[in-house]
Amino acid sequence: MSAGVALAAGIEAAGVRRTFGNVVAVADVTLSVPRGHVTALVGPNGAGKTTLLLVLATLLKPDAGRVRVAGFDPVTDSVEVRSRTGWMPDSFGTYDTLTAREVLEFAAAAYRIPRQLRPRRAWELLALVHLDEFAERPVHALSRGQRQRLGLARALVHEPTVLLLDEPAAGLDPRSRIELRGLLRGFAAQGCAVLVSSHVLSELETIADRVVFVDRGRSIAEQTLAELPRAERRPWRVRALDPGPLMVFLDHHGTEHGPPDAHGVEVLLSGDEAAAELLAAMVRDGIPVVSFAPAGSDLEAAYLAITEDRQ
Amino acid sequence: MTRHQSPRLGFNLRGALTVAAHEFRLRIRAGRWRWLLGAWFLSLFALTAGIRSALVRSDQIRPGTDMFGGLMLTMLALALLVVPALAAQSVNGDRLRGLLATLQTTLLTPAEIAIGKLAAAWGTAIVFLVTAIPLALWCVAEGASGLRVAVSLGIAAVLLGVICSISLCLSAVLARTTTSGVLSYLAVFALSIGTVVIFVLAVALTQTTETRTTEAGTFEQTVTHPERVWWLLAPNPFIIVADAAPRTLEQPDAGVRLDPLGAIGEVARSARTPGSTLVDSEGIVELGRQAVWPVGLASNAVLGAGALVITIRRLRTPYVKLPKTVRVG
Repeated sequence: MSAGVALAAGIEAAGVRRTFGNVVAVADVTLSVPRGHVTALVGPNGAGKTTLLLVLATLLKPDAGRVRVAGFDPVTDSVEVRSRTGWMPDSFGTYDTLTAREVLEFAAAAYRIPRQLRPRRAWELLALVHLDEFAERPVHALSRGQRQRLGLARALVHEPTVLLLDEPAAGLDPRSRIELRGLLRGFAAQGCAVLVSSHVLSELETIADRVVFVDRGRSIAEQTLAELPRAERRPWRVRALDPGPLMVFLDHHGTEHGPPDAHGVEVLLSGDEAAAELLAAMVRDGIPVVSFAPAGSDLEAAYLAITEDRQ
Repeated sequence: MTRHQSPRLGFNLRGALTVAAHEFRLRIRAGRWRWLLGAWFLSLFALTAGIRSALVRSDQIRPGTDMFGGLMLTMLALALLVVPALAAQSVNGDRLRGLLATLQTTLLTPAEIAIGKLAAAWGTAIVFLVTAIPLALWCVAEGASGLRVAVSLGIAAVLLGVICSISLCLSAVLARTTTSGVLSYLAVFALSIGTVVIFVLAVALTQTTETRTTEAGTFEQTVTHPERVWWLLAPNPFIIVADAAPRTLEQPDAGVRLDPLGAIGEVARSARTPGSTLVDSEGIVELGRQAVWPVGLASNAVLGAGALVITIRRLRTPYVKLPKTVRVG
């Protein structure tokens, strides 16, 4: 990575729009992905995350907007962008009859890495994603999670400085997820710009330090996880010895709540004051409350707050 | 790490070779090639041996020319059945399996991907022809002209490449693999049978009625004009291969000859230049007719090259427009 490129932001996008016929997949997205950070791209299904990543990965031409990836325009300078960007799609195929090593060596050849360097690069990557013992095994004999890791290794073959990962944790077992987290944090620490889309929010919270929310093709908010606003409304979980009186109380009290289950009831509350007030009221009315605590994570709460008007 | 830049919009032979070698390896691993090529060779061997034994019994002359004619036409017919399958799902199959997009985001250019895929399919088709070379040599040993054998095989190889290119193009243009597969076979059908049917219809439609006056009186005569529509036959692969085979100038009285290549070539040439058979004073047929195969080969080359250009254009990214039902991945 040369010094000049390092200074440029990983990804800068402003006013990006992309339609398919009458369907507006991305309406207006503005985001920046700085180097040295893992940025989460968060939004409901159909929010335009995958389309946005396809634009960044030089596969789709945006209808409007300004995009720079590693300092280059993906439309006019796609070769420059490609040589610096690793893209892992949400669903991708693998050459089933090749071995894991052969897949990576072919990817290296496709990125014009000289022949004599390819075997070493393949082994480095296999070690990185803990697939070295499966190097000579055909891909069809790998599990879903192992293929996912191979897909990640494939995206890293040319040592990109910008990483675009679409649902990279899908299909990974808990250990692999933890390792993925370590890998992505490591890349960020080396100065890469990492953009990760997912809807497993609890997971993103541990991987990412920045978050961009998108909904219905628009970017809504962009912030660091530390500065996530205390959500206006967030779920709290109440459990009582006997759910019957609790439900009667909640209905009577006019509190928005979900159905009761073995873990209690979720109620939607606006702020800590409302929570304190509700707890006091429950105790006053003699509801046998066992536990009362905020449910979900800050990221989840922010996500719910942002997508609230959909219901 | 050093960056390995590629030409911006270009084509690099090494890139195409990377794709071709990769595709070829996938093909080798996917199919039961030994069995397929074994069955191919054995059936052609049985055919050639059959023709030989039939001719050797009935004739004094050496059977090589006729053996090779039968072998070549049968081989071409079988190859035309095999070849569309080699390329007709190459691009849309990759797209369907989520392999195309990751290839397109590498430094390989659209031309390298398209030409590499074409080379792999074409190379596989040529493997089938090469498998039959021992049989062709047998025909030469039995009296067929070596030049004739070489030219016929070479022309056939070119024509199979054209079919590969058309099939590849259909796979790049159409989203569904079944549609591109069916249309590839239809294209082969149109070239090999459709051209003949259309030619016959065109001859019927262009015939004229002429009034002739002779000593016996005036009468009307229907006259056909194949020379106006002969070019409809020209793209036919069988006619191109047969007509391109260098003529064998053998004595016409040497007995009953099959020589299927020569016969087909003669039919095609007589359509282009009817009524021009000349017999010179020594009774040797003067082959003064205009050849059809250069026009046919040129039209096929244009078809193949055009199909390749369309394929490359369809692989260009970033995509501006996508056909319906296509997901980029």
